[in-house]
Amino acid sequence: MIFSQISARLQNGDPKEMAHLIGQAFDQGATPEQVLNQGLIAGMDRVGQKFQTGEIYIPHMLLAARAMHGALDILKPLLAETGNGPAGRVVLGTVQGDHHDIGKNLVSTMLEGKGFEVIDVGIDAPPQTFVKAVDEGVQIVAMSALLSTTAPFIGDTIEALDKAGLRKTLKIMVGGGAVSQEFSDEIGADAYGGDAATAAVLAMDLVGKGA
Amino acid sequence: MNGKKRILTALNPGQADQVPLYIHGINEAPIIGIGQQITQGLPQVTDFRKMKDTEKFKVLDTLFLIHETFDVDGFTAFEIGHESPVDDQHVKDEFGVVYALSDFGLPVAKGHPVKEVSDLEKYEPPNPDPGHLVLLNLARDRFKGDKALFWLMRGSFVRCWRLMGMENMMIKMFDDPQFVHDVAAMVLEYNLAQLDLLVGEGLDVLVIEDDIADKNFPLIAPDQFLEFVNPYNRQIVEAAHAKGLKVVRHSDGNLWPLMDILLDTGYDGLNPLEPQAGMALDRVKDYCGDQLCLLGNIDCVDLLPNGTPQQVDATVKKAIQDAGQGGGLIICSSNSLHPGVAPDNCIAMFEATRKYGRYPTP
Repeated sequence: MIFSQISARLQNGDPKEMAHLIGQAFDQGATPEQVLNQGLIAGMDRVGQKFQTGEIYIPHMLLAARAMHGALDILKPLLAETGNGPAGRVVLGTVQGDHHDIGKNLVSTMLEGKGFEVIDVGIDAPPQTFVKAVDEGVQIVAMSALLSTTAPFIGDTIEALDKAGLRKTLKIMVGGGAVSQEFSDEIGADAYGGDAATAAVLAMDLVGKGA
Repeated sequence: MNGKKRILTALNPGQADQVPLYIHGINEAPIIGIGQQITQGLPQVTDFRKMKDTEKFKVLDTLFLIHETFDVDGFTAFEIGHESPVDDQHVKDEFGVVYALSDFGLPVAKGHPVKEVSDLEKYEPPNPDPGHLVLLNLARDRFKGDKALFWLMRGSFVRCWRLMGMENMMIKMFDDPQFVHDVAAMVLEYNLAQLDLLVGEGLDVLVIEDDIADKNFPLIAPDQFLEFVNPYNRQIVEAAHAKGLKVVRHSDGNLWPLMDILLDTGYDGLNPLEPQAGMALDRVKDYCGDQLCLLGNIDCVDLLPNGTPQQVDATVKKAIQDAGQGGGLIICSSNSLHPGVAPDNCIAMFEATRKYGRYPTP
C-alpha cells in the first residue's frame, strides 16, 4: 500500500510528500531496495508508459524526475550501505556539434528511474569524450543527435569506440530527432529509442534485465 | 499572376494559376551551394556572422538571385544585426539570451536571463529596432512587389523558453504560473511593437515561428498550450489580420494533438508539416485543407540530403497530387534548407514545382 502511494506521489511530482512517505515505509519495515524498486521505479515505469501514449507530456516528466531525484537523495546513502549496485552503468551524451540537451536529459531521468547509474558527458561531445568516459562496468553508450548534420558523428563515435577496443564489450543505443531505426541499423547500433521511456526499457533489455 | 499574388491567393486558401514555391529558411551552406550553379565569386561556407561585409553582401545578393532564377514566389526575411558577439563560440541577442554557435545548424539558446521572478523584476526588455529589418527592406526594394514578403517572428513559447530556459519554464508552469504569464505578456508587447514596424515596411505575410512539438508529441500538454502559449500568439494573429496581413503558423513536429486549437486561432497557413512527425500531406489536406493553406512537407531530413533529384521530383509531384487540388498548397521543404541538404536536390524541388504545379495539376 505504501509503495503504491510513493509511486502515485512520484507520478504527481510531489517531492515533499515523497519524503514523508519514504519515512513511513521505513517505519513499516521496508528496505531501501523495496522503496526503490516497488515505489520509485514502479512509479517511473508508469510515468514512462503515460508519456509514450501521450497521456502526459514533458513538463509532467520533469516534475516526476524532480520528485525522484529528491527521493534518491534520501535513498542513495542507504542503498550504498547495503552494497547493492545499480541496474547498470550508461555513458550518455549528445554528439559533437549538437547542443540540444532536453531529450538527452529526459533519457537520463528515465534511465535513473530504472535504477541505472548515468555518466552524462553532456552536449557537443566529441567521440573521444565518449571513449574516455567508458570505464570498467559501463555496459551501454547512449548517443543522441537532433540534427541530421550531426547524426554522422554517432557513426564516428562508434568507430572511435571500436578503435579503442571497447565496442565488443559495449551495447550502443541511439536516439534523437535526426535518428531513425533505419539509421540505427545502418551504423550498426544495438538499439534505437524513439523516446526517453522506450530508451530506458531497451536499456534494461540490453543488460539482460528486461521484462 | 506574379509571385506575390500567387502566394496570397494560396493563403486565402485558394487556387492561383500554379502551385506557389517558397523557401521558409535557408542556411549559408545551401545558399552558397545552390548559388555556385548560378553565380561566381562566392565565399567559402562559414557562419554569416563571421563573414566580411563584402562576403555578406555577396551571400545576400545570391539569396535574392536564387529566388529570381528559380522563380520562388515568396521571400522570407528575418532579423539581422540583433546579435552581438560574446566570444568566438557564443552570441547574445537583443533580449540578452546567449546562444552557442554551431557549424552544423542554427545557434542554440544556452544562456537564459530571466529564470526567476527576481530576474524579471530587474529585467529591461528591448524595444524592436527598425535597423534589424534591413533584410526586409532590401527584399522589398529588390523584388518591387513581385514576390510576397514573409517575416519570421519568434512566437510566445520560443521567446519565453529562451528567456527562462526550457526545462525551467516547464517546471514554472506548475510552480509559478503567474511568472510564466508575466514573461509571455512582456514578449507579446515586444512582438506587437515589432509588428507595427513590419507593417510600415511593406510586409505581406507574418510567420509566427514557435516550435511546440517534437516528432512524437507536443512539448507541453494541450491544456498548458491553451493557458500559457496560444492566447499570446492569438493576439498577434488578430493584430496582424487587423493590419491586412496573412499569418502562417510554423512549428516543427507532430501537431495533431493541437490541431483544433491552431485552426480555431485563425491562421492562414501551416508550416512545415514534417513527414517524419506524422504530418502526412494528404491527411492534413483532408482534415483542414479547406480552412488554411499548407506549406511544406518536402522532406529535408532524409530526401533532400540523401535522395536523388529524380526522387525529389517524384515527391514534389506526389505532394501536388495529394494536396494541390483546389489550391491552398505552397511547396517548400519540411523545414529550413540546412547545411546537410544537397544543392542539386533543392534545385530539383524548385524545378519540379514549376513542372507539375500548373493548374489543372496532374
